[in-house]
Formats: sequence, C-alpha cells, structure tokens
Amino acid sequence: MPDSSAAAIPVRYMRISRHRRLAWIASAIGCGLSVLGLVLCWLNPAIASPLKPGLDFTGGTQIQVERLCQSACGELSVAELQKRLNSLSLPAIPGEITPNLSSTSVQVLDGGRSLLLRLPALSADQSTELIEGLTSVTGPLKSTGTSVNTIGPTLGSRLLRGSIISLLVSFAAIAVYISFMYNGVFAFLALLCLAHDVLITCGVFAWLGLLQGIEVDSLFAVSLITVAGYSVTDTVVIYDRIREQRKLLADLPLIDQVDVAVDATLTRSIYTSLTTLLPLMGLLFFGGSSLFWFAVALIVGIAVGSWSSIGLAPTLLPVLSRR
Amino acid sequence: MARQQGWIAFILALAIASGALLATYGLQLGLDLRGGSQLTLQVMPAGAITKVETEQLEAVKDVLERRINGLGVAESTLQTVGSDQLVLQLPGEQNPGRAAKVLGSTALLEFKAQKPGTEKEMQGLLRLKRQAEAVLAAKRPQPTSTDSGLPAPPPKPKLAPEDLARSLRSLGLTVPEGSSESDQIELLLAEVNHRIVGLYGPTLLTGKDLTNAGRQQKATGNFWDVTLGFNREGGEKFATLTQSIAGSGRLLGIVLDGRSISEASVGEEFKAAGIAGGAASITGNFTADEARDLEVQLRGGSLPLPVKIVEVRTIGPSLGAENIRTSLLAALSGLALVAVFMVVVYRLPGLVSVLALSLYALYNLAVYSLIPVTLTLPGIAGFILSVGMAVDANVLIFERVKEELRSGNTLIRSIDTGFARAFSSIFDGHITGLISCSALFFLGTGLVKGFAVTLAIGLLLSLFTALTCTRSLLRLLMSYPALRRPTYFVPAAQLPASVL
Repeated sequence: MPDSSAAAIPVRYMRISRHRRLAWIASAIGCGLSVLGLVLCWLNPAIASPLKPGLDFTGGTQIQVERLCQSACGELSVAELQKRLNSLSLPAIPGEITPNLSSTSVQVLDGGRSLLLRLPALSADQSTELIEGLTSVTGPLKSTGTSVNTIGPTLGSRLLRGSIISLLVSFAAIAVYISFMYNGVFAFLALLCLAHDVLITCGVFAWLGLLQGIEVDSLFAVSLITVAGYSVTDTVVIYDRIREQRKLLADLPLIDQVDVAVDATLTRSIYTSLTTLLPLMGLLFFGGSSLFWFAVALIVGIAVGSWSSIGLAPTLLPVLSRR
Repeated sequence: MARQQGWIAFILALAIASGALLATYGLQLGLDLRGGSQLTLQVMPAGAITKVETEQLEAVKDVLERRINGLGVAESTLQTVGSDQLVLQLPGEQNPGRAAKVLGSTALLEFKAQKPGTEKEMQGLLRLKRQAEAVLAAKRPQPTSTDSGLPAPPPKPKLAPEDLARSLRSLGLTVPEGSSESDQIELLLAEVNHRIVGLYGPTLLTGKDLTNAGRQQKATGNFWDVTLGFNREGGEKFATLTQSIAGSGRLLGIVLDGRSISEASVGEEFKAAGIAGGAASITGNFTADEARDLEVQLRGGSLPLPVKIVEVRTIGPSLGAENIRTSLLAALSGLALVAVFMVVVYRLPGLVSVLALSLYALYNLAVYSLIPVTLTLPGIAGFILSVGMAVDANVLIFERVKEELRSGNTLIRSIDTGFARAFSSIFDGHITGLISCSALFFLGTGLVKGFAVTLAIGLLLSLFTALTCTRSLLRLLMSYPALRRPTYFVPAAQLPASVL
C-alpha cells in the first residue's frame, strides 16, 4: 500500500467486502422467504391476493362499539350475536338489495368490553339501525365509543392505485436525482435496495396475514412509502461518503474506497437507525391498537433498510461498476 | 461573534413567535382525534358528460354547501379531493345518516303533464301505489313522543302475499330469492313510480325556476306539505301547464330524481287561466323530517351531476380522546429516549442537539397551526418519523466532528469542518425524503396526504434547525473557554495526545 494514501486509511477497520458473500446470501434468503410468503398468500383460497387486504381495499362496513358496563362486562356469545344479526331487518334503500348479514365477522375485544363487526357495505342509516339492534344482546352501549367506517369498493381500488402510482413516481424521481448527483449504477443499486426493503416488509406482512390473519390497510401503504424514502436516504448518506473517498483515495481500487466509506459511516448508520427506531418503539408500545401494525411495518422496514444500505448497496457497487 | 448573536436572537424570536402562534390559534385536530363523521362523495359522470371537469365539481360543491348550511351542522367543512371527489367533515356528528340522505340525492325537481289516453293505466298504477305505501307506512316504527296526543292509527292495512306476488308479476318483475316482504313492496313501489313517470309527457318546468321552498303542516294528521314559490317565468310556465290539463282528468306529475313523488288533479275552474300566482305545494304525505330535508334540497338547487357516497367514517369522541392520549404518550416517550441517547453518546453537543430538537418540535407545531395542518393519526406518525430524520442530521454532524477531533484537529476547527462535511449528505438525504413526500402529497389520498404534509414540514424544518440552531448554539457555548474541552465531545481515550 503506498504511503501517501495510508494516512487517510484507518489502521484498523471493518472491510465490508470481506463479508459480502454472507451479506448477499442473507438478503437472498430474506427475499426468497418473502416471495414464498406472498405466493402462499396468493394461493391461499381464503386470501387470494399477495397480502391480506383490509377494509380499506375491499370495501365494506366496519363497526366498533364499546359496551357500557359497571365493573365487569357479562359474557358475550358470538353465536348469539350472529343469530341476532340474522334476525335484523334493516331499512331498505329503494332500488338496492338489502345486504346479507349472515357473513358478518364478529370479533370480541378487550375481554368482552368492545366488539368489532365486519359487514358488507351498509348505508349510514342501516349502520345506526344495526347498532341499535345489537343492544338487545350486548346491553347498553357507550354512545361516545362507537366508530363506524364504510368504504365503497371503488374507493378501495382507487386508494390502492393511488398508493402504487405514488410509490412508482417517487421511485422514478429518486432514481433521476441520484443518477444526476452520482451516476446510473448508484441509482440502480439504490432502487434495488429499496425494492429489497419493500419486498421484505411486504413478505413479513404476507406471513403475518397467513399465520395471524393480519390485514393490510391504507396505513400499511403509507409505511411502505416511508420505508422507501428512508431506505434511499440511508443509502445516499453512504454514497456521499463513497464519493468523498473516491476523491481522497483516488489511486486505490473502488472496493477499498467503498470499504473505508462504509466503515466511516457505520457508527452513524447504527445510531441513526436506533434513534429512528426509538420513537417507533414508543409508538409500538404506547401508540394504541390503531397504530400498532403501522409501527411494526415501519420498524421492520427501517431495520431492513439500514441493513441493505450497509450490506447490499456498497458491496454490489464495485461488482457492477467494473463493467 | 456578532453573526452568532444575530442568529441566536433570530432563533429566540422564532421560538417566542411560535409559542404565541400556538397559544393564539391552537392546533386543528382531525376527526380521528376528536370524534365526528366524515363522508366522501364521488361525483358521477352522467348523460353527455363522461368526465367530471373542475367547473362541474365546483358547481356540485356549491349546491352541497347550500344544503349543508340548510342542515345547520356547526363547523362542517367540505373540500374537493382529486378530480371528482368531495370530502365532508362533520365534527361531533355521531349519526351521519340524515346528512348522507340529504346530500346524496340529486334533487332534480320536474313538473310534467300526463299524456292523453293513459287515464285508465294511471288509475291502476295509482291504486297499487296507495296500497303499497299504506302497507309500508304501517310497517314503519311508530311515531315518537313528538307525535303523541293524536288519534290512534287506523287498523294496519295488509297486502296478502298472493296479491303482492300477482301485482309483481303483472308488472313483469321477478322476485329475488328469499327477499323479505318489505323488500318486495319497495321493489313494487319503485317499478310503479317508474311506470307512472313513463305516462307523463316532456318536462315543462324544473326546480331551476324555484325562488323559494318551505313547508307547512297539514290541517289534519301528522303530515307535512312542501310549498314552492316560482319566479315570474316559472309561474307562467306553471299556469300554462295546469291550464292544459285542467278538468281533463289528466294529472299533473311532480317528479323528483326520476321518481314520482306526487300526482295532482287540476280542477275544472282553472280551465281559463291555469293556476296563477307562482306558488304551488307538493302534497306527498311527508313526515316533518322528510319535508324539511326536501325543503333544504330544493332551496339548495339540484345537483348538476349525481353524487354517490363512497365512504362514511364515524369515530366516537371518547375513541378520539383515547387515540390522542396514546399517540401523545408514544411521541413523548420516544423523544425522551432519543434525548437520553443523544446526551449519553454525544455529551455536550448531545445536550445542544436536545435543545435544538426541542426548538424543532416547537417550530413544527407552530407551522401546523399557521398553515393550518389538521393533525390526524398518520400525521402524528409522520411527525415522529421526521423527528428521527432530524436526529439523523445531528448524528451525522457530530460523528464528523468526532472524526476530525480523533485525527488531531483543534476543537473549533473540528466543529466547523464537521458541519461543512456533513452538509452534503444531510442535504441529499433530505432532498430524497422530500421527493417521496411530494409524490405522496400529489398522488396520494386523504390519510397518505396528511402523513406527507407533516413529514415534509418536518424535513424542511430539520434542515433549518440542524444547520442553524445546533450550529449557533454550539458556537455560542464555545465562546466560553471553560466549555472548550475536547473531552466534552469525545472520550479522552479516543483522542490523540496532541489535542489533550
């Protein structure tokens, strides 16, 4: 090693390129498992799509009610609720067939304190009627604890289309920015990492959907887009360091320049993931049920994003740049 | 030095202004945090129009706004979303059924005259209609307390199942498998009304010529009429229309949204001049609420295009309070953990960054109340994430400063170089973040938009606070010689002997 450049190279440092095969295999396994999860989900007749779509994407009505109980809530039988639902006659809308309530899914939450119903799309009037009808089984309900969401099926597909389009457009715009600031190989690798991060996050939720019945909602779409943005930001910081090292260590091969850059930013990468994960952990533990799975998606995505920005983009860079 | 003091003064002034802004305007909370109803209405293309244009969307919005004002819901907001949707927010409203009904119908009012030679068919249809209406009225839940003191309702009219089936067949309808009696009667009624409309001639007068609408209770029973006032042109048209059928036995049809709501005969005495005076009333046996809703719709005018309600979300206020408490707790506990981490890892500059990040949070909230940004759950999530990115900027800077110190540079020089070198990576990272945000904002829908807005504000402010607040505060501290010690930045073991 020539003396002139040795001054800028740390005496001891982690050479990421020595571990690159391991890194590639780990990522390949992660991607493989994710694809498997998505395919299994798709083949599952009960789901029939790569991820289990929630109310936001399928359309329908979701009603959550809270019971008014003094100290302890009495037992609730799902079968009895189902029977009551079947016996309800909802106000008809002229010209439309009254929805069939026999396929309602009933979920009892918080030890019988609240109820979650998933039904075909109901009108606002029908929902009110239905909630009133339930009280004969559940007893009085807390009037301020009711939430009713009705989403038309067209809105769901519109939301999905909007999410996918905005994701693709932001990918393209980021690729243009990186090609402009760095070069095409950098941009390609940033997008590859991004696809890797999004794929693995989706894969985790495909498995969660298969094993735990977890559904993805519009917040999941938000989290995917966030993961994409974070992944690129994380990668770009390392790119910035590589660009600097290429000037400082111009006479060394690219693989060494990359190793020095990764080593120099390693502490930062770990600290940054930690400080981003800390508020998300707060959201996970204290954020309540509505944001729980949102926090899970972000935590998975950001952890994977940090990994790919250290282990994937820099190690592939010398391989692709040689050509 | 003077430049530093200028910046510090500026930062303090901003902090005071932010505090004042927050105290005056407060934060706007979304419906998921305070409870209420949100309706999304989709404007449907109809007739010659295949794509909804901006002007049509605005025209629909105008009409809906007038109707909402007629309903008298406090603090409601109606916004256009995308190219063909409207979102109505009704804070505090727990039962959006009525609003949905009033907003959802087109309210196109038409006056038509019956075609000659259809008298017999009309009579048959009207008989069926009266029968079906009577059965439905009897099935309705009995009137509530406001209607007490009235004579007991007459014995329930009945429609024998075989009669119903025969009537349905005679109209060429097939009964859906397993449908209830009410469903079948509704179906019958819809078809009858459709056929009645078919017996009318062309539209001779529409709701456009209305100047006023009102309602009055009938002398007998608990029913209401809706009264109409026409402008001069409308009054003339109405007179001509009534004159043409007066005494002929043909009927005047009042059609709302293609459904016949009232059929009236015009007496012999109007043969000479028709019903003049520009006023009329619709006798449709309306309940008090129905009459009021129709009045609101007619006053607001008819919608230029039909709308369909595609989404209704209702959140109870206590659920909202629960959400806000848990999200706040989450945000604060996360921030506290980050603060501890920064001080432990970065020592003096860590403390400075905690101060800068607190200012950052304050500025963020001030911008929310200034724009104003309606805070929703995804919005709070976007804010928490932007805090993560803001901390990253500080981490990048301090890591650089540490590196410079380790390689033997003096403290002040290390700080300056650290900021300068970290700038390009902070800038690139924030720009890519902002690129995603703008894609989300312009292409995403409701929830996604709220998230994009708070994240974008956070990223812009974080650029400012990391490069200005942290730096100015740090340099201010460095003007005190007692604080100018490298060991306040890096553990002594990591420093070269020359610096110590």
